[in-house]
Amino acid sequence: MARTISYREAINEALAQEMERDERVIVMGEDNAGGAGSPGDEDAWGGVLGVTKGLYHRFPGRVLDTPISESAFIGAAIGAATAGMRPVAELMFIDFMGVCFDQIFNQAAKFRYMFGGKAVTPVVIRTMYGAGLRAAAQHSQALYPVFTHIPGLKVAVPSSPYEAKGLLTQAIRDDDPVIFCEHKALYDTTGEVPEEQYVIPFGEANVVRDGGDVTVVAIGRMVSVALAAADELAGAGIQCEVIDPRTTSPLDTDTILESVESTGRLVVVDESTPRCNLATDISATVAQQAFRALRAPIEMVTAPHTPVPFAGNLEDLYIPDAQRVVNAVKSVTSWER
Amino acid sequence: MGDTVVGIVANPLSGRDIRRLVAKASVFPTAEKANMVQRMLTAFGVVGVDRVLVGTDLGGISAAVLRAIGTRTPRDPPWPEVEFLDQDPITQTAADTVNAVRRMAEAGARVVVCLGGDGTVRAAAAACGDTPLLPLSTGTNNAFPQLREATVAGLAAGLVAVGAVDIAAVTRRAPVLRVDAAGRSELALVDVCTSVNRYVGARALWDPAALTELYCTFAEPDGIGLSSVPGVLCPSPRDEPSGVALMLCPPAEATWVVAAPIAPGLVVPVGVRSWRRLEPGEVVEVATPRGVVAVDGEREIEFSDAPAPRVTLRPDGPRCVDVRAVLAGPARNRLIQEVER
Amino acid sequence: MTDTLSTSVAYELKPEALHDAYRTMRTIRAFEERVHEEFATGDIPGFVHLYAGEEASAVGVCSHLDNRDTIASTHRGHGHCIAKRVDVKAMMAEIYGKSTGSCHGKGGSMHIADLSKGMLGANGIVGGGPPLICGTALAAKQKGTGGVGVAFFGDGASNQGTTLESLNLAAVWNLPAVFVAENNGYAEATSSTWSVASDNIADRAAGFGMPGVIVDGFDFFAAYEAAGEAITRAREGGGPTLIEMKFTRYFGHFEGDQQTYRADEVARARETLDCLLRFRGRVTETGQLSLETLDRIDAEVAELIDEAVDEAKRAPKPRAADLTTDVYVAY
Repeated sequence: MARTISYREAINEALAQEMERDERVIVMGEDNAGGAGSPGDEDAWGGVLGVTKGLYHRFPGRVLDTPISESAFIGAAIGAATAGMRPVAELMFIDFMGVCFDQIFNQAAKFRYMFGGKAVTPVVIRTMYGAGLRAAAQHSQALYPVFTHIPGLKVAVPSSPYEAKGLLTQAIRDDDPVIFCEHKALYDTTGEVPEEQYVIPFGEANVVRDGGDVTVVAIGRMVSVALAAADELAGAGIQCEVIDPRTTSPLDTDTILESVESTGRLVVVDESTPRCNLATDISATVAQQAFRALRAPIEMVTAPHTPVPFAGNLEDLYIPDAQRVVNAVKSVTSWER
Repeated sequence: MGDTVVGIVANPLSGRDIRRLVAKASVFPTAEKANMVQRMLTAFGVVGVDRVLVGTDLGGISAAVLRAIGTRTPRDPPWPEVEFLDQDPITQTAADTVNAVRRMAEAGARVVVCLGGDGTVRAAAAACGDTPLLPLSTGTNNAFPQLREATVAGLAAGLVAVGAVDIAAVTRRAPVLRVDAAGRSELALVDVCTSVNRYVGARALWDPAALTELYCTFAEPDGIGLSSVPGVLCPSPRDEPSGVALMLCPPAEATWVVAAPIAPGLVVPVGVRSWRRLEPGEVVEVATPRGVVAVDGEREIEFSDAPAPRVTLRPDGPRCVDVRAVLAGPARNRLIQEVER
Repeated sequence: MTDTLSTSVAYELKPEALHDAYRTMRTIRAFEERVHEEFATGDIPGFVHLYAGEEASAVGVCSHLDNRDTIASTHRGHGHCIAKRVDVKAMMAEIYGKSTGSCHGKGGSMHIADLSKGMLGANGIVGGGPPLICGTALAAKQKGTGGVGVAFFGDGASNQGTTLESLNLAAVWNLPAVFVAENNGYAEATSSTWSVASDNIADRAAGFGMPGVIVDGFDFFAAYEAAGEAITRAREGGGPTLIEMKFTRYFGHFEGDQQTYRADEVARARETLDCLLRFRGRVTETGQLSLETLDRIDAEVAELIDEAVDEAKRAPKPRAADLTTDVYVAY
């Protein structure tokens, strides 16, 4: 039975239902319980944006507050995973990955390989990404490309409440380390989400909207931006096929290639900065493997190669919007040699 | 006339052993030991000491003092000339204390201030000869050194050094226990104890079940460490030449069971079978057939079979400065200037 | 004559335990010395960092551990691996990059691990281990196994943020963890008296809310007793401890400047302090083990190492297809 809930609630529900099902699942992070480890509060914080609210009392002893020590507690989550737990650690802002990156990319990502297939590290690191809340340069980045680059990690970027619950449930059940990237501007958005548990497999893109004229691949929050652009373009007689990869690692290149074989045109919408991001990665893959099918150069709609500005008008210019997607689609559909 | 020279040796490793873990022994920061040295330098400056010899260590005490010397401002009180004794290799063992004190004695130091616990003072006593010692407690068990504020102790040591006092009136020769075992000879300022542990191991003693015999130069009721057992049961004052000898055993076989503070935070039942006075010069052969001899609370010598270890109480230990006696006596006139009007 | 007096004493090592401790220390020493020789021939790829001289620390600590306990090590990890009972022949094969190695040749010297024995791996990242041990200790606490986590790290890692954070986290979460700082006086070319502001690593413990103890790292019995107390305390819910094993002797001036040390003096000092020599002397003096027994152990170990090297040299290299396996669990 599906009903309308928010992105935040969907994540909370995925956590709660998995914790109910599997006692090995534990949650840890800054302010994840009451803040300052304070027990007994009716209204425990449940995370800086309330995503883990209510879990502390429902699962005593399994929701841990941490000091501001990312290296230590992300590392601890990873270590606990190798010892048979299924931890879900929260890296509050993806921008903070710098202070714990070694534990993620040199330890968790490499144990399975380095130890000859003998390690299992089923850790999930949930983290907030994205611009739009005027949080400025060090709290607004979209750094999932950096994690995508690392062999041994899996990266999920849910675009809606439905995606969020299904992907998080899969992430917790997955035996590999998963970086779960939640866009902070999506927490209050709502959508239809089944009450019961379900999983969305990794490496399976979702064709959100069918269309024969152009393939628009969009990551995370950009899916809704692409859909808004697609609506406007439909009015102009251009039918967009909008594809949500859902996971950037593994990436469902088959679905994307199949669509481009059919449309011959590709626009990639990626909120992250342009050097070595998902747009360049997907574009290169398509250019290499579907060159003959392409009828126009590939367009990438991304943030500029700058930090995220604070001033509202500048931040609005920074974030790819529907208008820029519309322009890009029109460009590829009107391209003549 | 000649230089008035004072020596200061500070043990960076005092207060760092397993008693931090098995008891609640004090954590005495290195910074505090360095501060104590500096407080003394100020006091020495006031009473006119010419030169101070400071032992060197790899635990940060002498390095901090060196830094402090290098960052003095004109507003700071004058300090005597400081010379760091850096000629001997630093081994991070008791040998460092022994080497430093030996050099200070050879250089004519009038008094040597020693910062540490019983173990440190013991090492200093082995090398000081007739030079008076002023032990200041910064270690774990401080049964022997007194807990005294360093500035005041510095004034007293300085007054002794500049000759403002009759040394005989303000120093006392501490009795010592000499123990000969396994071809080695050690001096104890407070206690010699035999234990059935086979090995020196982590050195400290914290398990009363292992102890068999205890010999003390003195035993005060308000003492800390092994001497607190006789201190509570059969006290033997510091200023008396005789000591005390106890045969220990498991509480079940004991005549008395004493709740004794054998280490900071550790008040445990110690079984005593018997005790008697120990006279100076009396040579006692240890009855325990094999085990470890502990000196001043630390396991030191492993022994087994013949010959049995021997313990002798002797009156000729180090001369120790009585700070109160120095400052209560005429020497304090040096601190008073009568102003002519 | 039976020795009834010793049974009540804590940490009294029976002859079998002494036998085992000596064998393990000798195995580490022989292993490292042989790797040193073989590395010089160019047969061994990559980097090796040898643990010879510090055996008393690894064995003194790991003698108290079993398979529910975990350890994390450093890039200088062979000693910890052997002390934690990782298979010696598999280790040698791994160092040679062969498919029969502990990690099928995919890890090498700096990443030897055996999770079934609770050995989380040697680690090429300085300070990489302590956070992981917070994790395994947390898991042990959550599951109620009574297990402990021991993080071995060096004086260099003692300054790394990950280590300091882990000390704090372990205290805040009251984890069954023991942190063992192996201070051999140098991190690469930098002396620890220069780089560690408090000089004694153990002095930091008080600032992190746990006891800090300094131990002579060359003395097996001292290491064994101190580790025993800390591990027991952790198992009983008493929280973490920081033990600093000191392997330093004369290392330059007291100012802690980065002075060149007199290598010959250091070498001489280490010879007289060698943990294996001292162990031999003391157990034979107390009569617990005979020289013949000890020499026999030496011979058996030498044979084991010879076999390990022979087998490693003859073992097959990984197949080309192994390049892309085990990146993820499923593929």
